[in-house]
Amino acid sequence: MLFLGALEQGLIYGLMALGVYLSFRVLSFPDLSVDGTFPLGAAVAGILVFRGFDPILAVLGALGAGLLAGAFTGVLATRLRIPGLLAGVLTMIMLYSLNLRIMGRPNLPLLGRPTAFLRLSQVFAIPRGWEALSIGGLFALGLALLLFLFLKTELGGAMRATGDNPQMVQAYGMSPESLTTLGISISNGLVALSGALASQYSGFADVGMGVGTIIAGLASVIVGEILFRPRGIAWHLLAVLGGSVVYRLAISLALRYGATLGFTASDLRLVTALVVLLALAAPALRSALRGETG
Amino acid sequence: MILRVLEVTKTFSLGGSRFSALDNLTLFLSEGDFATVIGSNGAGKTTLLNVIAGTLRPDRGKVEILGQDVTRWPAQRRAKLIGRVFQDPLRGTASQLTVAENLALAAKKGGRGLAPLLSRGRRRYLAQVLASLEMGLEGRLGEKVAHLSGGERQALAVLMATLTRPKLLLLDEHTAALDPANAEKVLAITEKLVAEHRLTTLMVTHRMDQALAVGNRLIMMHKGQIVLDLDEEEKRRLRVEDLVGLFRKVGVSDDALLLATNDDGEKGMMAEEAKKLAHLL
Repeated sequence: MLFLGALEQGLIYGLMALGVYLSFRVLSFPDLSVDGTFPLGAAVAGILVFRGFDPILAVLGALGAGLLAGAFTGVLATRLRIPGLLAGVLTMIMLYSLNLRIMGRPNLPLLGRPTAFLRLSQVFAIPRGWEALSIGGLFALGLALLLFLFLKTELGGAMRATGDNPQMVQAYGMSPESLTTLGISISNGLVALSGALASQYSGFADVGMGVGTIIAGLASVIVGEILFRPRGIAWHLLAVLGGSVVYRLAISLALRYGATLGFTASDLRLVTALVVLLALAAPALRSALRGETG
Repeated sequence: MILRVLEVTKTFSLGGSRFSALDNLTLFLSEGDFATVIGSNGAGKTTLLNVIAGTLRPDRGKVEILGQDVTRWPAQRRAKLIGRVFQDPLRGTASQLTVAENLALAAKKGGRGLAPLLSRGRRRYLAQVLASLEMGLEGRLGEKVAHLSGGERQALAVLMATLTRPKLLLLDEHTAALDPANAEKVLAITEKLVAEHRLTTLMVTHRMDQALAVGNRLIMMHKGQIVLDLDEEEKRRLRVEDLVGLFRKVGVSDDALLLATNDDGEKGMMAEEAKKLAHLL
């Protein structure tokens, strides 16, 4: 049960990790707005379901809201020339208030309401108990495939070049600003979609559920890279999903057995952040150990 | 007329004082012109290229390409008319993309559709184009550009910049960061591609021997102005020492620049000789 739960969560949160991969790895843009767009997805989908709309429509609404919010961050960073980190923080802070307004309260219970999992598993005639795994997997693998195909198009190739060398992109007739904005928009669309599915999975939308999204996303990306050492974009995207599953499994194990080691649930973010810190600092630490400077 | 730079001025503030990188500069390039540009540090050579490419807006003056006023066009819009190679090989290519992907982006200049970047047909075409470099890169289409050497990367950058036969090719000391052997190879590739596509070219260089050997026109810049503009005939009669003398005349006393002519011992001697001669002038 613990493994099944971790697998389900890993796939659902894997969508968010794909979004973080797009901004952080492809565009080299550490985008903090995801801490706001994850609960934005939950809030938009939650209120739509609450008001009686179809849960699939609600998920699509969340996707749209995420795309918009991401584009907003992109415009702040590229057109208004606000440093990327700050642009993300500004969007995140604005979304905190906005999410409260959308939901009308800090917590929206969704238990007993229809979900996209149930609705879609009826369509595909999926046996009871496997809804979250199959539909979560369908979303995660389906969007990973779409993202892969996109990154192999002219537009997607130009986007990858933007994170690498914006000057070259400009010299070949494309706008790095527009490509960055589009990429951040898609990234946050994925994150909001993940938030919507996560809220339907867990049965509530909460204004505080986005705290630490960026760290969890980075952890998934980095764990995937370290464990699977992917080469090429397709393997990289799968590694991100795999990293997300491993990350959720590690959390489930920590929550179950952590108490005997003196850990509590509230220590989770500290431990996650330390893992990400270590992974990010690894190159510098390695060269410091070899006695190199800089 | 391919390019008309009309009375362009660009001023920068530097530590409180202002200096004109371009001072009321006017330059025309006709179709097929291959002009080399020399000048000391701060003469405004790179600023001139930036103003033409659109990465810098002039304070005053106009830039026209093919008779169109492009002064207010952003760089990415002008890019359809202009090919550019930078001094730093890292700037002209995307290191995390493959050789084929880099070339395909250059071939699809300005294209941003949802068609696949690399189709089988395009891959074959790109392999053919790469083979013309004679560097063995056609067998490394799927390799990340990050794995290429500086010389290979710059040769690729030159090929990419010329692939769509731009109306104007801007070369900004594009061999300066390479070792002598690679610099020669990249320069040879450049001359070949420029001749093949009859590209109108503006090449900034810090090496006077290169400025004399390459192209059919020579421009010397000093303090944001063009102080010398020689046609093919005049250029052919000129030798490195004459050029050094001319440099002295306009008041350039940049030893680094004079010494920059030496490529190996022999040419170094030549530069020394030239310097002595220059003192006598």
